Amino acid sequence: MSTQPAGYSASTVIATTTNVPKLGIGLAYQGPMRPFIEESNDCFNYVEVVPDILWTDLGPGQEPRYVEDQPSVDFMREVRSKVPLIPHAIGLSIGSAHRFNRDHVTQLARWHEQFHFPWHSDHFSYNLVENGWADINVGVTLPLPHDSETLDLLAPRIAEIRSMIPIPFLLENNVYYFNMPEQEMEEAIFLNRLCQTTGCGLLLDLHNLYVNSRNAGTDALAFLDRLDLDKVIEIHVAGGMEMDGFYLDAHSGTTPAEVWKLLDFTLPRCTNLGGVTFELFGSWFSEVGEERLRRELHIMREYWSRHQPEPERVSL
Amino acid sequence: MSQQVFQRLVARLVVDPDFRDLVRSMGSAAIDGELTDLERRRLLALVDDPGVTITKTLHKGFRLGKILSMLPLTCQLLGGKRLGRELRVFWRVYASRSFYYIDEAVAFCSFLETRPAAMRLSYLPEIVAYERTRLELQRPRLGDSQATSREISFNHDPEILLTTLARKSRPHRIPARRCTLSGTLESDGSIQWVIADTAH
Repeated sequence: MSTQPAGYSASTVIATTTNVPKLGIGLAYQGPMRPFIEESNDCFNYVEVVPDILWTDLGPGQEPRYVEDQPSVDFMREVRSKVPLIPHAIGLSIGSAHRFNRDHVTQLARWHEQFHFPWHSDHFSYNLVENGWADINVGVTLPLPHDSETLDLLAPRIAEIRSMIPIPFLLENNVYYFNMPEQEMEEAIFLNRLCQTTGCGLLLDLHNLYVNSRNAGTDALAFLDRLDLDKVIEIHVAGGMEMDGFYLDAHSGTTPAEVWKLLDFTLPRCTNLGGVTFELFGSWFSEVGEERLRRELHIMREYWSRHQPEPERVSL
Repeated sequence: MSQQVFQRLVARLVVDPDFRDLVRSMGSAAIDGELTDLERRRLLALVDDPGVTITKTLHKGFRLGKILSMLPLTCQLLGGKRLGRELRVFWRVYASRSFYYIDEAVAFCSFLETRPAAMRLSYLPEIVAYERTRLELQRPRLGDSQATSREISFNHDPEILLTTLARKSRPHRIPARRCTLSGTLESDGSIQWVIADTAH
């Protein structure tokens, strides 16, 4: 499959990262949270969902390639009748050098027609690599080098995504446990260049940033100082855990104090921010419990109120 | 082109401990494929990076989670040590191909069926067949292209055997019972199971 669409040039990219609705506080959907989402929708303004868990990708060449899980899609329709829905995909593997998955983008475009997303996002990374007749899925978001070669790989792909789905497209700063030596650019500078060159926005995951800074001993505030925060459309917060001398982005609990501090620093500086989302893996939901989750969302709302305008009422 | 090769080799450092050991011992000579000098230096630097080790642990956790959640009775019957041994071999021969749990779990069932030593474990052939059938019935389907009912032969009482494992107990002296367990997928996604004794 070709990696560059015909007729691509950087000038064809249109800026769309302004004028996103100020949604407020979001909760990332996981199956076990379904009763909470049904009963506690006064605690959040929108729901974020990994669309890939609501369909099954049968692989290239299959027709149809994506088989949707109808009960889950019906539930998302019900959610969408009350609050906006934001897709945060994992299936694109946008940084995979061997192929660009246009079928995934087409599937998301179909969902956009149905759900009218305010924006959508994926990860600045790759998890699929070629391995003979079948890809390997590492299941972990592997880091892309902060080099101009990476920009050259991503720019036409982002342009194609933006032309197929006419809403802001965001990439999330990656969490990584190893990084490439001899990179051309620092991460923040690279992300600024990526947004400038391609017109994509940023999903700033503050927990990823905290994990990276804690494991690599880097300065998270210095990173935020260098980052063009006007490009941040969404922020993620989450909790993690320690293992084998590393702090992991495990989405296993409530947000640590250090991440709240980063949020407090970041929120007033993000002029185009649409929302702050809390991520928790479904398997940890029973341990965290509804009460702590409600409190977590309440804290997020307090920070939002302190630094951002009242969430907009979005027509559904 | 070299970007593609580089990504494949980085992924191999994470998922394939033998390859990582080879690069550690042989250096650049173990790296085949067209790479730039920078990519080659990066790969060699990553070999001893503890971050690659923790990423390998996360990769294994990703794969283990699929098996534990999709094949709980098979895992219970194998026990921790034997499951670990079988998974180590399985992971060497079968690369993870998708995020989806069912694909990997069905592949592990197929793998176990080729392992005579494992399949000699009492009740394992019946339990692997049962869990595989359940997954294949529930696998996302395209229209009417897949069967909605299947049969499994049992030599031991399936009610007692399945209940014992579901209670996380080790099955012991399960009564012999030659029968067929028929599973039918219902419209709500559940499976209706019916036991029919085999005529002698």
